[in-house]
Amino acid sequence: MTKAIRNYFVFLWRCGRIAFVGDWRYYTWMGVLTVICLLGLNAYARQFAHGLIVTGMSNEVSWGMYIANFTFFVGVAAAAVMIVIPVYIYGNEDMHDLVIFGELLAVAAIFMCLAFVTVDLGRPDRFWHLIPGIGQFNFPASMLSWDVLVLNGYLLLNVHICGYLLYCRYQGKKPSKWFYIPFVFIAIVWAVSIHTVTAFLYVGLGGRPFWNSAIVGPRFIASAFTAGPALIILALQVVRRVTSTTTVTEAARLQGDAPTPPSSPATLADLELLARHLPELASVSSQVRKDTLAGAMVLELAAGHVLLRQGEKENEAYFVLQGRVVVKREEGGRFRIIRSGGPGEQFGEISGLAGTPRLATAIAEEPSRVLRLPAGSLRKLMKNPAMNKIIRSRMTERLMITDRALLMLRSIVQVSMLINVFLLVNEVFKEFYSGNLHVASAKYLFVGLHGHHALVPWIWTAIAFNLTAMVLLVLPVSRSLRWLNVTCVLAIVGIWIEKGMGMVIPGFIPTPLGAIVEYTPSLNEALVCFGIWAFGLLCYTVFLRMAVPILQGRLTKANEHHSVEEIAGVTPANSNP
Amino acid sequence: MPPPAPSPNPNPAPPDAGISRRNFLRTSVVLTTGLAALAASLKPLLDMNDFPTMERFLQKYYKEMTPADMEKVLKRITDETEKQYGLRPHVRDLKPMDGVEFVYCLNLTRCIGCRKCVHACVAENNQSRNPEIQYIRVLKLPHGSLDLEKAEHDYNPEKVPEKGFFYMPVQCQQCKNPPCVKVCPVHATWQEMEVDSAGKRKGDGITVIDYDWCIGCRYCEAACPYWARRFNFTKPEIPKERLNPDMAYLGNRPRRQGVMEKCHFCIQRTRAGRYPACLEVCPTGARKFGNILDPNSEVSYILSTKRVFIQLKEEMGTSPRFFYYFDV
Amino acid sequence: MNSQTRTRLALTGLILAFLALTTLFLSNWSRRPVRLTTIPLVNTNFLDTATVRRSYADLVRAGEDLSDFDCSVCHEKGKAPPLRYDTNQNLIVPKEHSDIVMGHGRHGRNNNCFNCHNETNLELLQTRDGHAVKFADSPALCGSCHGPTYRDWEAGAHGRISGYWNHDLGAPQRKQCVNCHNPHSPPFPGRQPAPGPHPLRPMTASVEPEPNH
Repeated sequence: MTKAIRNYFVFLWRCGRIAFVGDWRYYTWMGVLTVICLLGLNAYARQFAHGLIVTGMSNEVSWGMYIANFTFFVGVAAAAVMIVIPVYIYGNEDMHDLVIFGELLAVAAIFMCLAFVTVDLGRPDRFWHLIPGIGQFNFPASMLSWDVLVLNGYLLLNVHICGYLLYCRYQGKKPSKWFYIPFVFIAIVWAVSIHTVTAFLYVGLGGRPFWNSAIVGPRFIASAFTAGPALIILALQVVRRVTSTTTVTEAARLQGDAPTPPSSPATLADLELLARHLPELASVSSQVRKDTLAGAMVLELAAGHVLLRQGEKENEAYFVLQGRVVVKREEGGRFRIIRSGGPGEQFGEISGLAGTPRLATAIAEEPSRVLRLPAGSLRKLMKNPAMNKIIRSRMTERLMITDRALLMLRSIVQVSMLINVFLLVNEVFKEFYSGNLHVASAKYLFVGLHGHHALVPWIWTAIAFNLTAMVLLVLPVSRSLRWLNVTCVLAIVGIWIEKGMGMVIPGFIPTPLGAIVEYTPSLNEALVCFGIWAFGLLCYTVFLRMAVPILQGRLTKANEHHSVEEIAGVTPANSNP
Repeated sequence: MPPPAPSPNPNPAPPDAGISRRNFLRTSVVLTTGLAALAASLKPLLDMNDFPTMERFLQKYYKEMTPADMEKVLKRITDETEKQYGLRPHVRDLKPMDGVEFVYCLNLTRCIGCRKCVHACVAENNQSRNPEIQYIRVLKLPHGSLDLEKAEHDYNPEKVPEKGFFYMPVQCQQCKNPPCVKVCPVHATWQEMEVDSAGKRKGDGITVIDYDWCIGCRYCEAACPYWARRFNFTKPEIPKERLNPDMAYLGNRPRRQGVMEKCHFCIQRTRAGRYPACLEVCPTGARKFGNILDPNSEVSYILSTKRVFIQLKEEMGTSPRFFYYFDV
Repeated sequence: MNSQTRTRLALTGLILAFLALTTLFLSNWSRRPVRLTTIPLVNTNFLDTATVRRSYADLVRAGEDLSDFDCSVCHEKGKAPPLRYDTNQNLIVPKEHSDIVMGHGRHGRNNNCFNCHNETNLELLQTRDGHAVKFADSPALCGSCHGPTYRDWEAGAHGRISGYWNHDLGAPQRKQCVNCHNPHSPPFPGRQPAPGPHPLRPMTASVEPEPNH
């Protein structure tokens, strides 16, 4: 028991340490974010001391940028987990590892939401009044109480799922289905609920006709599912780029001819050795093992030997007997480490079973011995149910951010944006066709009211961005990554404007008594917002900094004795990872 | 590719250390300067002269306070107010009277829009003068329309009333079905009206705020259809010479930065049997207040004889206890 | 420039950034006071709860000098003072009573002083059917023509009441008609309004609503 606790703390400690280790790009990025965070913290300290008068809010417009950002990022958090649906419900293998990136984004987004709500409070020192049982929690009447529950519950769900899966991967253990699959399905439903509850905060106010409309909930979901996956598309490409390693010499080396490594026919003893690291092999009968040995070879590899090349048409499968092999994939001109495996690890099995060209390149990191099996032998082995299970499950745990995964996300963004624009048309018709008198807020937003039109250029810019993004998404041109990225940026900015400022501010203008007081965020308010954005990015970067090496197999329990600097590849002696 | 030859290092690190002395030094300096910047960023907190004490932080919810708790709290408020304003106030916790439910009637024929009620309220209830908080807002509307979008708030002619217009003061309507009470996440605001197990109604119907429980989320302000609630964006400023020392816990005792406030029917006066300040100062007698459960009160007379009286935004379903009536 | 040098540079840059931030935070930049425009305190006249007028009955109650109101100084007791009219049937107010402006009803309806004043006893008022009314009971006279308003006044719906709504705890003070209405020119006078609101953020003037007639 104590050993388990000790192991967990060592895991946490190493994760914590690795967050502080990186190359110059990492330090620069984290440094810039930390500076912005500190500026935001200073601005918030000013607000805490002097009150919310340092913002641009007033008794007429009593919610502003903070709640606008809160609304937007609840949407991002909800949508980030929705990419889970293709994987777990439709079994889309391309997206498996991306689920963890999505859920980590959800956690970072929820942190930001909690921060935005806290900085908006007039008396954050009285937060304990909200705790059920200790304070006076107005559940179920107040939608804010619902929001407190669902947001924190969602946070716990995602932290559990990610933490559990990552810790299992770290330990080299297979995660038990019961500890995460039910939670994943709960998270899918919960994601919809967090955003609907947030929508209901607004919809439930009868005194604000601009918000008191049934379309607000569906619009929130549609715009969240546009902006969220769009953000993930951009984030994944950044992850792809920064976890890549490339040098000219390395690329050149990978193109050169590799000398043929010494090989010898495999023996039962080799299979015994493999069985020590791959326990499932123990259940295979000796007869099957003898059959498997037909055509099987053991290769002796020198450090740096290129065993497989991406794109080659071969179909042998490999198992590592001794040493370490790293599997790298070339994506967009750069090489990414997919995984790094020690004894018992398999590679090359995908092309072996599916007959496709090699998906990646395999290089020995240190002097290694590997077992090479022809495809037929592998299939024989996989007739054993235990072997079948372990090989198939490992096949799906691939950290490949393929372009296919990005295009899958694109189709989610495409459909959601179409629905989002359709709902906008519905809203505009409802507000302006009948000519009844409740349209003052909509008039203020779209055309201006009694000479006040501060938001008009903003909303029309947002609509232009959204329409352009929608057109681009429908056209095949957005299948190219460059155009897809432009489209995503347009969609994110457009939706941030329309859902944040375009939703919150017009609800207050005019006031229920007909007065018009406009709202401009103050410098202090903006600094606090920037600080929280930076904090969210900081959190997400740290999460990825911990998760990627674990998913790649570079940070494991087995290599506890290695320092994190070595794992991150930034030791002074060898700064080329 | 062979690793580059290690540069000559006067302090060669042990092979497995992973971090050299120079790196360690640099890292420490980064951390130290980072922590210094973090500490320095909190400097504005020194400007805060109202940092909550442990006693205030742990103060109980109004409905859970025993009389002994309340006495301690009232004494604390009295001491704090005396310290700040140099005047020892008289702070009480007034309970509702039995058999009383308050109703306010306002005669739109008689209101001349002079705004004396606004300022009498400010003086009586110790509202902040800067930033300005006023519970009552007088609307100037053209004859024949109750469309509040046509209302003017900042009229300032030489003489009121002006021909062709009427004036409608709006303040908290003390609704029977208040949206603000529904949305408050911490029950900091509630209707002083309960129905006990025997079906008997207890309470005088005022919607009150426990200023020491409010967390300042301003959801109630967004929810109110009458724009009746006000937020303290900073420390309220009350001129010492104009402080009203006759105070109540749920009423006009001084509020703090970051909490909500609103009209409470001058609870320190009305629960002592007196008329609210806005009514006392109205020069034309347009304001009427009293106990609707008393058939002899003027408000009972008005609501039983006037043919037309209205509740603002009745369709909201809020059931206000505020009625506007007309003579001619 | 290899990666190691870049890392060193990045960390050094970070150190400098932190030092710059510390200096900035400790300077007065972040301690700028929150500036508010000054709002003048309201004139205490606007807080005065006194009625618009003090009636003769109030003066009597207050025991004030009533020599100005002694009719017998100029008028013979029991003898009605003559009334004079111009060619348009308008009452000519004698110069001794020039402070009185006649304006009680349109089209000169009340152009006869003795519609209200008792011609045989100037210290009394009278109703149209000849009942004498004391000055202190003047609401009965007003009510003899203004019935609905009088009924409202009796119930408390018209006019001013101050003091206690709860009659067990104290007495209400009902004001009379002449506390607000000048009997010779009753329309309630207009006045300068108290200052309007000073919102925290600029509330630019809304559109001037047009009167409907």
